[in-house]
Amino acid sequence: MEFEVQENQANNSIQGIINLQPQVNQVQAQQQEIPIKQTDLQVSSTLEESVAVTLLRDLRQIGVKLRCVLVPTMSTDNAKELRNWDLWGPLVFCLMLALTLSLSGNNDDGPGIFATIFVLIWVGSFVVTLNAQLLGGKVSFFQSVCVLGYCVFPINLGALFTLFFSFFYLKMFLVIGCFLWSTYSAVGFMKLLIPEQKRILALYPVILFYLFLSWFALIV
Amino acid sequence: MQNFGSNNELDEKGHVLNEQPKIKVKFEPKPKPSKCPICTIEYYQQFFNIEQRDVYMRIRCSILSWKPEFHQCVGKNPDLWGPLWISTTIIFILFAGGNLSRFLLEEDKKHFKYEYNYMYVAVLIVYAMAFIIPIILGVIMKYILKSELGVFDIVCMYGYSLSAYIFVLILCIIPYNEAQWFFLMCGLANSTIFLLVNLWDFMKKNKQTVLIAIPIISFNVALILCFKFYFFRLIYAVDD
Repeated sequence: MEFEVQENQANNSIQGIINLQPQVNQVQAQQQEIPIKQTDLQVSSTLEESVAVTLLRDLRQIGVKLRCVLVPTMSTDNAKELRNWDLWGPLVFCLMLALTLSLSGNNDDGPGIFATIFVLIWVGSFVVTLNAQLLGGKVSFFQSVCVLGYCVFPINLGALFTLFFSFFYLKMFLVIGCFLWSTYSAVGFMKLLIPEQKRILALYPVILFYLFLSWFALIV
Repeated sequence: MQNFGSNNELDEKGHVLNEQPKIKVKFEPKPKPSKCPICTIEYYQQFFNIEQRDVYMRIRCSILSWKPEFHQCVGKNPDLWGPLWISTTIIFILFAGGNLSRFLLEEDKKHFKYEYNYMYVAVLIVYAMAFIIPIILGVIMKYILKSELGVFDIVCMYGYSLSAYIFVLILCIIPYNEAQWFFLMCGLANSTIFLLVNLWDFMKKNKQTVLIAIPIISFNVALILCFKFYFFRLIYAVDD
């Protein structure tokens, strides 16, 4: 394969000619084997496996990412793992939190609370990520939404525990602990990607976001 | 023309012998759509070109409202970070603090009914005050009254003028009528003075421009009346 290029400075473009005829001779063509790609085999096999196996694999991936996010050790493995973002985890935790809070409160408010929490989590993650991007952070959009969604998990735990305890100060203590845990994990991830002078500007919305959610977990 | 590794056979004159099929490809940078610049994210990046030190100075200018220093602080760099997150903080304080204030007054604490409507009303009122009203005022000032200030300068100013309310509304959680009125009046004075002092250069031009003070003052008064009579209304239990 060969190509010839010429820069056209008049309209700031590159013009070129690509020669698509492969430069093989007869002997090489006979000896050439078409290698079967590993991923081709994997794609065909995932179509044939059972639903249970697929679900278990997805759940395992969610579990692995959850461990990376919630045990903030700042290792490079964590960072690599988080680059494979997915939105299943955030969706599961969002639905769990919305369901828990809507069922534990008054029956009249249930649907309203469910809708509020759902919208709050997704719109909130979107706005916080957008804020970080506009401030010049090198944050990939869905990666950030993914991490913010995973960090909702401690607040989920807090909401579940408050169902079983009625003593207010214990609830408050639990929810504050979960809020600090969520915020610490999310901040640990985001602060690496924002320049020093703008760090507080990017992290304050994250704190406000988890404060909103924790407040809901406390009062319902 | 640069020729990278050609394998074509050439005759003695240097002409190519075997003509091989060639495809002409043209690479051009994607033309930027110019239909709606305000709709793109890149347009708003210029309003987040700000550091935490700048935000601190602007909030400080707003709290010390009698000094007309805000335009010096901002320069040619109005930001949207301040208006957005100050108003969102105020929404949270109204939602949490408003209900907390009612809770402190409530005698029957076990059966306290939390008002979730506070959040929706707060979102409506605060974002209207922080964005919609300054955009309308800014457009009127720039295009009808010929001010040098842009629309986003006015939005920035309005956003930072609300920063005093963060402290005021936290103090309003104290469930005493007179205390709440006192704090709200302080907030009103601070916010209105800030806006009027910094727009004074524009207002003193002629009789028409002074009239801009009327909507500014009225909207601020309407705002604290909303705060007092919706979020921090004190309903005392009636003794039978």
